[in-house]
Amino acid sequence: MADVEGLSHSAICVHDLKQAEDFYCNILGARLGNRVNFKTDDAIRGRSVHGSVILEDYLLALVVPRDFMPMPAEEQQRGAHGFRHGFRVSRERFDRIKSELMRQNVPFEGPVDHPEKGPFGQSIYFKDPSGNFLEILWRRDEGAAYSKPYITGVG
Amino acid sequence: MIAPITMDGFSHIVVETTDLGRGEEFYRLLGFQASGYDRVPNCGAHALFQMASGQWLILARSERPRTFPDSGVHQAYRVTPWDRDAIGAKLAAAGVPVHTYKEDRPAEAADNFYCFDPDGNRIQLIANSGVATDPRGKVLSIDHAAIESHDLEWAEDFYVNRLGWVADHRVGWRTDDYVRAKLWGEGKEQMAPGTRRWDRRYTTMEQKRLLPRPNTQLFVRVGDGVLGVFLATQHRQEPPEEQIVGTPRIGVRASRAVLIETAKLLAEARSLTAGPLEHPSRSPIALSLYIKDPGANFLEICVPR
Repeated sequence: MADVEGLSHSAICVHDLKQAEDFYCNILGARLGNRVNFKTDDAIRGRSVHGSVILEDYLLALVVPRDFMPMPAEEQQRGAHGFRHGFRVSRERFDRIKSELMRQNVPFEGPVDHPEKGPFGQSIYFKDPSGNFLEILWRRDEGAAYSKPYITGVG
Repeated sequence: MIAPITMDGFSHIVVETTDLGRGEEFYRLLGFQASGYDRVPNCGAHALFQMASGQWLILARSERPRTFPDSGVHQAYRVTPWDRDAIGAKLAAAGVPVHTYKEDRPAEAADNFYCFDPDGNRIQLIANSGVATDPRGKVLSIDHAAIESHDLEWAEDFYVNRLGWVADHRVGWRTDDYVRAKLWGEGKEQMAPGTRRWDRRYTTMEQKRLLPRPNTQLFVRVGDGVLGVFLATQHRQEPPEEQIVGTPRIGVRASRAVLIETAKLLAEARSLTAGPLEHPSRSPIALSLYIKDPGANFLEICVPR
């Protein structure tokens, strides 16, 4: 068994690295990670152009593809283009992000209410400039402290 | 930090040659007329050419000129379309090849006229700037200059955040750039040196195959001039660490107040500078601040007399 210990990062494709950095940093409050292939050593090694942004403790690698990717329909805000990233925020921050999306004219769908008995409160759905689907949500159980899962074994 | 400083544009460009007489003869073909010798401080033996704008090209003698003809390094001058045709004829008569490469910056899309001086300095003539169309018989001004750097992030931080120049265009950040590089890889587009690379993929996943890629570039605007910074695709011997003043060099015009403020800001940032230095009255430059950028390129912020 692999016994993975957690999710480290995701890599997504973006058509414009600068535009993507600005989107994640200026709208979602990410901080810049690193950039690759802006140094001679990277060029000599033949490394691809990519960068990364860090959202709280999660790293998104931003990769510039060599070909254009099919884009979802402009009006479609919800889906899994490749896949979807869902980021959890506090309820207070959720409202601030919604306001920021409106202020920066980023189309979104929601807030969508989730069933009352589930862990999710509300979500908003939108895309980054390269059509990657994103979700911001707040959890009803955000204040709850959970104990570690009890491993019962199998069988 | 955005520096609260505004510079006026290029003042001069210093390029190197092994033979001043031969260089002067070549630049005469382009419409440059020598207007003086050995008058600009810290250029060694040199010929001075003044353009219609008042800007200078300085041809400085060097045993081993740093010209890098296989890189993105070049100098671009504005001439009228009529003059460019006339220059083309003169170059052809002198047996100097004219190249019609393309570059990536959209503003240069229609200006693919290049030649090399006898030392390997690449020269581009820009005739579509709309400044003038009639025969002038001389070079109008400096349009842009291009240098190379081994770290484009440092270069952007230095030129944009420290010197307050404006990022004008970037190459290599977008899928469009990679799609276009494929055309070059397929032999469908002839691109200027330093704009494209064959990268050997370093992973076995892709069987270490060669890929055509754009070389990463940054263009920053200062006044009505543009400086291109190309990623160096090989390591070169840099000037000694303690050398702050040297050639080749890009000169930028500024007011005395801006120069002094820039010196203060760069000193606080512990950038490599020398000056401000006052020059004797025979120099066309009154005051200079010499700078070495993070890529070891020489710069001079100056107050013309």
